[in-house]
Amino acid sequence: MNIIPTIGMETHVELKTNSKMFCRCHVLDTESPNESLCPTCLGLPGSLPVPNKKAIEFITLLALSTNCSITNDGMFHRKNYFYPDLPKNYQISQFDLPVGTEGSLEIVVDGEFGTVEIERVHMEEDTGKSTHIGSGRIDSATSTHLDFNRAGIPLVEVVTKPLIKSSKEAVAYIEELRQLVIDLDISEGKLEKGNLRFDANISVAHEGDKELGTKVEIKNMNSLKSLEKAIEYEISRQTKMLIAEENIIQETRHWDEKKEVTSSMRSKEGSADYRYFSDPDIPNMILSNDFVNEIKKIIPELPSQKRKMFIETGLSIEDANNLGKNKNWIGDLYRSITKITGDSKSSFNWVTGELQGQLRKLEIKDLPNWVTPKNLSEIILLVKEDKISFTSGKEILANLIEQEIVPEEFASENNLIQENNIEEISKIVEEVIENNSEVLERIANGEEKLIGFLVGQIIKISKGQVNPSVAKELLLKEISS
Amino acid sequence: MADKIDIKNVAKLASIKLNQEEEDRLKNDLSMIIEHFDALSKMDLPDDKISIHPLGMSLNLAEDIASKSLTHKEALSNAPESKDGQFVVPPSLD
Repeated sequence: MNIIPTIGMETHVELKTNSKMFCRCHVLDTESPNESLCPTCLGLPGSLPVPNKKAIEFITLLALSTNCSITNDGMFHRKNYFYPDLPKNYQISQFDLPVGTEGSLEIVVDGEFGTVEIERVHMEEDTGKSTHIGSGRIDSATSTHLDFNRAGIPLVEVVTKPLIKSSKEAVAYIEELRQLVIDLDISEGKLEKGNLRFDANISVAHEGDKELGTKVEIKNMNSLKSLEKAIEYEISRQTKMLIAEENIIQETRHWDEKKEVTSSMRSKEGSADYRYFSDPDIPNMILSNDFVNEIKKIIPELPSQKRKMFIETGLSIEDANNLGKNKNWIGDLYRSITKITGDSKSSFNWVTGELQGQLRKLEIKDLPNWVTPKNLSEIILLVKEDKISFTSGKEILANLIEQEIVPEEFASENNLIQENNIEEISKIVEEVIENNSEVLERIANGEEKLIGFLVGQIIKISKGQVNPSVAKELLLKEISS
Repeated sequence: MADKIDIKNVAKLASIKLNQEEEDRLKNDLSMIIEHFDALSKMDLPDDKISIHPLGMSLNLAEDIASKSLTHKEALSNAPESKDGQFVVPPSLD
């Protein structure tokens, strides 16, 4: 009987606000500990939390963009626990009345569309950073050092339904969510900086079983690669246990990046252990229809809409998805270029491949203002129409990035226009055949790679002005006759 | 009711030092709170109208304008132990 894995993702998105969620301390990007604290985020008696308006706008944007229903009458709860990473001994979060519920997100897996169902999108505050001092292992530390700069930064948690079926789907989902928060401009979305942090809930069950297997939560995955590996590892671990009829326990496991295994951290708290209750310091969060309608008006073009538009220009789902992961100006440039060239695939390859590659090499972040859709299209069309070689196209592009040139003029001035006149090329082919009788004999004896050598000779004599594929075609014709 | 409260233990749990006068006053305050809850739990209330939030007021949101708060020194001044600019607490899992 087949064993089916089920995965649910919990993702924390750190919002890009100036001040914290419930106090007006600066959101600081600093290594220097405990520099941005006040009585509220230190949990001192008498302080009162006041929610950040910008953060509420941002989470509403995200909830609407993931097709969630908005809870008009929401509320904040206290999630009580005993770790010292928040000085209040509780985290302000949301429990049964989150901002958004029952949403969905379109994803692309292996060049095909899929959907991830979103269970909830809720608002909470980030915790401080704990450093365990001692022998290096958490469980034998001698003390814990705390930096509360991060404590209280607005955090959105996005929880999916446990309907994800593979590590690939989970990775595609995180990529999509990341692109979404970047396009909405509500988070930096940098995984390496912890702006986006994710846990995976994984269980396995026999195909056809009515109930899901025991859920195991995996933490400490810092990259998409470790997410994929950790899920693969955990599915295989649980599958072996299920086959051996061993008891899988509900727990939190830690992904060990070096050993590439998961290991047990602690048994998982149920929500009852957190003793949620409504935060008496914060009144109900009423999101009026007027407020929600105002937010709807400022939703920008979403990744799924960009993808749809790119597909309409003729790109494959995969290419359209990859193009959407670039900065907006890359997509806009592609749109303008493909309109002129009428060739979506070449335009895509030139923009995302050659142009971006050369800019990256030169460490140029913005396109020089003289590089326009018009002159870029000119290069693409010169190559497409075989007037210049692909190599010459790249050379012209490199010059265009450096200085304002007219591609076709540059090609003529630098003898890059290819000879497409069959008679002229045939003359050179004949000349090369005459002068290389020895090589021809070796080709006849099976050394076919020497054909490339002869094509090289033809190009050399023509000073690079012969189209290599035309030269090869004529050469082969000549040899076989 | 006041007899049932071990005020010394409560003070220890809250990490505060109390003198005799403060102990007596807080013991009295705490017993009043407990009596109040006792009175509440004796009330016969219908189940269908539960107020989900204690505050019947609308929420004010703050503009996202950051302002300077405590200095680093002030922030750490109440910490029983600190090192390298960080709060130090007994080892804990997170």
